[in-house]
Amino acid sequence: MGLAPSLLVLAVFGLYPFLEVVRFSTWDWSGLSRPHPIGLANYRELLTDPAFWHSLWVTLEFALITLPSFLALSLLVALALEGQRYERWVKGLLFLPGLVTLSAAAVSWYTLLSPEYGALQTLLYTLIPESSPLARWLVVPAWDREPFWALLLVVAFTLWRYLGYGVLVVSASLKSIPRSLLEAAWVDGATPRQALRYVTLPLLRPAVTFLLVVGTILALQSYVAVFLLTRGGPFGGTRVLGYFIYQVGFEQYRLGYAAAATIVLLLLTLLLAYAQARFMEEH
Amino acid sequence: MKNLLRHLFVALLVLAVALPFLWMAYAAFLPPELVNSGEITRFGFSLQNFRALAPEGFWWRLAYSLGVSSLATLLALLTGFPAAYALREGAPLLGLYLFLLAVPAEMMLVPLYGVLAGTHLLGSPWALIWPFAASPFVVFLLYQGLRAVPWQIVEAARIDGAGEGTILQRVLLPIMFPHLVTAGVLSFAAHWNLVLYPRVMTGEKWWTLQVWMADLVRKYPSDWGLLSAAALLGTLPLALVYLLFERKIVETFEGSLKG
Repeated sequence: MGLAPSLLVLAVFGLYPFLEVVRFSTWDWSGLSRPHPIGLANYRELLTDPAFWHSLWVTLEFALITLPSFLALSLLVALALEGQRYERWVKGLLFLPGLVTLSAAAVSWYTLLSPEYGALQTLLYTLIPESSPLARWLVVPAWDREPFWALLLVVAFTLWRYLGYGVLVVSASLKSIPRSLLEAAWVDGATPRQALRYVTLPLLRPAVTFLLVVGTILALQSYVAVFLLTRGGPFGGTRVLGYFIYQVGFEQYRLGYAAAATIVLLLLTLLLAYAQARFMEEH
Repeated sequence: MKNLLRHLFVALLVLAVALPFLWMAYAAFLPPELVNSGEITRFGFSLQNFRALAPEGFWWRLAYSLGVSSLATLLALLTGFPAAYALREGAPLLGLYLFLLAVPAEMMLVPLYGVLAGTHLLGSPWALIWPFAASPFVVFLLYQGLRAVPWQIVEAARIDGAGEGTILQRVLLPIMFPHLVTAGVLSFAAHWNLVLYPRVMTGEKWWTLQVWMADLVRKYPSDWGLLSAAALLGTLPLALVYLLFERKIVETFEGSLKG
């Protein structure tokens, strides 16, 4: 009985749209116009659309940079914080970026990290004169012109936002390791490094698996940061698949085409998350 | 030596994470002349940026966004608490909720727009409320909390003749308070931080603070003071709520990850 209101809302606004989107994907439809059924033409067009393939590649690049650094940082920070006096305090701070107003955070990043005239660059030049040899190495990269740096900016922003979650997940798992296991390792003469390598890390595997799967889903589908920081540019260098869908659907008003791309993205997500979970279970 | 490296690493991390916040708070009070001349390292203090916000319609957007996100969160808690209770009682639908949990709101953009197109919801503020009136995340978090409650309490109350409504309100509500707060704050934050969804689903008149602010950046890209003032004030409500409940939120969230 208690489930009824919750299920009703989720069915209407959660499950039903997912069934409908399959139908939309076979339409030529702006969202407001009368739909024309066109069969699989949207999918055929997707397969030959260079913008789609490019955005798929960008998404892959984004995920391949973000995921390993996210996992490594989560592990490193959780281990570094474990048992320190400031542990709780730092965790609280790390969690904050994920909660604060997203576009406010983007405003701050944008003004702080603008190339050439940004606040950070101005500050650096004030501390270290522009003429000194050191200043050559302290230049904020031109992410407004170079796709690679633009992508790194989006990666950094994403890490900044989600690191707190990652650290909490690893940390929760660290705390559930029975102290007796580590003590047993020490009694057997293990060095702290060996204890970490052979006791702690293997026991953290479920947490890492969880982060990897959730992180993949997030990495494949996060595009709000792209909208706020780079709008897909420069030269489509940060146009991840999610942002491609947004542009096609709501800037070019081709909702049917966007629906087809949504389905491809959804299948890709499910496939990858499943494959990862299987892979991690076996190893 | 090893500990020194560890402290240094943490210190650098804290600095990097806090830098955007510090800059936001600093720039909001910068006099516009200093920003225009690029002399941001010279000290200046001015409230001009905050005064300039009112003509841009900031205060109305703030109140409106607070209202919409609060209402959506309240509804999500109202539907989520009984649902979590039913799941804890053994309703076999946990899998469904876990599946829906894995589908982020951003993914719903095209499907939901298609479904809402043609109904009167599209373009009205209700498009920001009804689809969020039930949240798998809230249900999951509350369910994890309920699993830690010794169920004899509920059974004892039932033997004493308490109905399901009474059990929820009188017995479980006080115990679950930290979880309700955590779920509430996190789901409020998730709703508050929607950007593209409100942009697409509603007209400019009903844009939330987020969308409005993203637009402000396009309008005045070099007016850092104004932008930072808007960012600072737009962040404060959530930051204050978070600071108020920070200990509970981090602990409860961490606890719910263990199970």
